[in-house]
Amino acid sequence: MARHTAILGRRMRNRLRVLRAESGWSQADLALRLGVSRQTVNAIETGRYDPSLPLAFAIARLFGLAIEQVFDPGDERVPALTG
Amino acid sequence: MPGTPSLPPGRTQRLRSQEQAAPGCDGFHTARDLRNAGRFRFWMILAAVAYVASTAALRWRESIPEISPAVQWILVGAALLCAVAALHRYLLFLRAADELLRRIQLEALGLGFAAGVVVAVLYPLAEGLGAPPVGERAIAVVMLLAWAAGSWLATRRFSDGA
Repeated sequence: MARHTAILGRRMRNRLRVLRAESGWSQADLALRLGVSRQTVNAIETGRYDPSLPLAFAIARLFGLAIEQVFDPGDERVPALTG
Repeated sequence: MPGTPSLPPGRTQRLRSQEQAAPGCDGFHTARDLRNAGRFRFWMILAAVAYVASTAALRWRESIPEISPAVQWILVGAALLCAVAALHRYLLFLRAADELLRRIQLEALGLGFAAGVVVAVLYPLAEGLGAPPVGERAIAVVMLLAWAAGSWLATRRFSDGA
């Protein structure tokens, strides 16, 4: 159980800043496209906030990538969630 | 990089016009958040005005006999209805809010609620030791202040400082 908490409590890494820069968008541009505030984009980019699942999928879809190509949980091992 | 992200021209144009129409998009609020927060504020102000009017009417009802009991009831009912409307508006604002803004608001509400419970449970003990008695309204004031403080703290934590 403690192992699950250690993994789930960790912030995800993401490539959002790089992807946005490659597209030539400002944070405000990306925020408008996603329908969120600019501070939400900034907080995700800086790792202060992990997006909800729908927003994470929306981000991945916007860049034409799979969700795991944008977000990285930082641990390749998948915890057993049973028991 | 597989595929450059793009939107249909109509959609892009609509986004641009939203950007121009919504200066708050640059901060924690989207245009929708600003609209909903404005509606909430309107009802809050109306509720506050109705509360002050009904409080005054009840306090001075002996000295102002022309205010009939029916009018007093209408004033109190109006204050109650406005407060319920404000609460409803706040819920709508919270449900539709940008997800980071919602997180900030929920953290602030949690702090406000916890502070209210702590004061409500622990202050009577202090009163038993001789601390000055405070009314029930003091708990509401503590909750509101803790909510405001929590909102400020959470906003600061997630802000980029721009």
